[in-house]
Amino acid sequence: MPHAIAMKKIIIVLQLLALLVYALGLQFLHRTTGGTLFLFSAMGPLLVGIATLGLIAVIVYEFRRRYSLFAFENYAPGQRIFAQGDPGDRAYFIHSGEVEVVREEKGSQTVIAHLAKGQYFGEMALINNQPRNATVRAVTDVRVAVLGKQNFLVMLSVLPSTQEDIMKVLRERAMDQATK
Amino acid sequence: MRIVSKGRAVAVHIDPTVSRCRLKRGVSRLLLLACAALVPLAARAQQGAAKFQQDPVDKYGTHFLTAIILVGVVLVLYSLLRYRGNVVGPVSWGLLILGVAIIPGLTSGLGTVLVFERAEHVDFCSSCHLTMKTYVDDMENPKSDSFAAIHFKNRYIADDQCYICHTSYGLFGTVKAKEAGIIDVYKYYTHTFHLPIKLREAYPNTDCLKCHAGSVKWQESHADYKDAVFSGDMSCMQCHGLEHKAHNVPG
Repeated sequence: MPHAIAMKKIIIVLQLLALLVYALGLQFLHRTTGGTLFLFSAMGPLLVGIATLGLIAVIVYEFRRRYSLFAFENYAPGQRIFAQGDPGDRAYFIHSGEVEVVREEKGSQTVIAHLAKGQYFGEMALINNQPRNATVRAVTDVRVAVLGKQNFLVMLSVLPSTQEDIMKVLRERAMDQATK
Repeated sequence: MRIVSKGRAVAVHIDPTVSRCRLKRGVSRLLLLACAALVPLAARAQQGAAKFQQDPVDKYGTHFLTAIILVGVVLVLYSLLRYRGNVVGPVSWGLLILGVAIIPGLTSGLGTVLVFERAEHVDFCSSCHLTMKTYVDDMENPKSDSFAAIHFKNRYIADDQCYICHTSYGLFGTVKAKEAGIIDVYKYYTHTFHLPIKLREAYPNTDCLKCHAGSVKWQESHADYKDAVFSGDMSCMQCHGLEHKAHNVPG
């Protein structure tokens, strides 16, 4: 499952845990009995602890993703690397293998590009600060080097030639899509 | 930085203003409804007692805790409805951290103060209706001549009468009482208690002496027994347990 969906579910669960703590508190304030007191004083801190630890884990995970520096990831054939609409937080550089770029519009999926070793993808969402505008799937066994958003943007600012290269590639891709 | 390419397939842009307005209105109405529903719940706390009988720690602590909880609920509901599990910027992160970690932590911490306060109240003791209510009913019965009833109807103890009599002196007395209370709650809700309820140990002299020892009237009337009572050689219950029971309850 793409990490974005898993993160969403975890965050929603954490928020529901927090709501449960609030409900226990209000129940205790409304009617103080042995049961409500026990639930609020024993279960309350436990739930707060779980929610806080979960939140710390989410923050660390997101931070590591955003600031990742060429970590390598492997994907099996058919595995989705990211989905259209996911938040953009990393750029991918293909070390080996082939991927396909698929755009979904009005329920139908169209393969708009195939990328192979030496090429990269996922940079547009980082530059535009928009969600992913396409889904990328592995066609063969793929190994990618991943650069987190912040490091990618720093790379662009520090290496103007990289920025020009990326602009050139984006223009070429846009023209390809227009002709299709 | 925006990239604009001629002829590029452009994502469909829905006019954001209309859908956002509707979403904001819906979210605001929901939040107002939630707050309106919760306010009477919170306002019912500590009703019924006259002003001079209200404990300010309980009263203001309740109001403050209620306010914190309501703020937390609003933040979490807003975050859930607006972002639906996504964290896309500093505002969403801020709401998440506040609503999930900071405010629940504050709630739990401040709530602990109220837990300790309210666990000392008489009506809290009587909420265990299968075990303690008969004792509290006897204490509050103006016709009863038990120790508890005499102390209560004459207000020899101003309030929290159960707790005052059943807690030993000083910090460790309080700790022991809270410990015993947790065990009692556990036994009650797991139905592992046995009737009739009995004290864990014989009622210690010190729990009488903590109030009576300083009384001139007591010292005069107990001049012959004072030393034996202080040393524990003689129990208060040796005399007073025979004539008056602590509580007039069956068993």
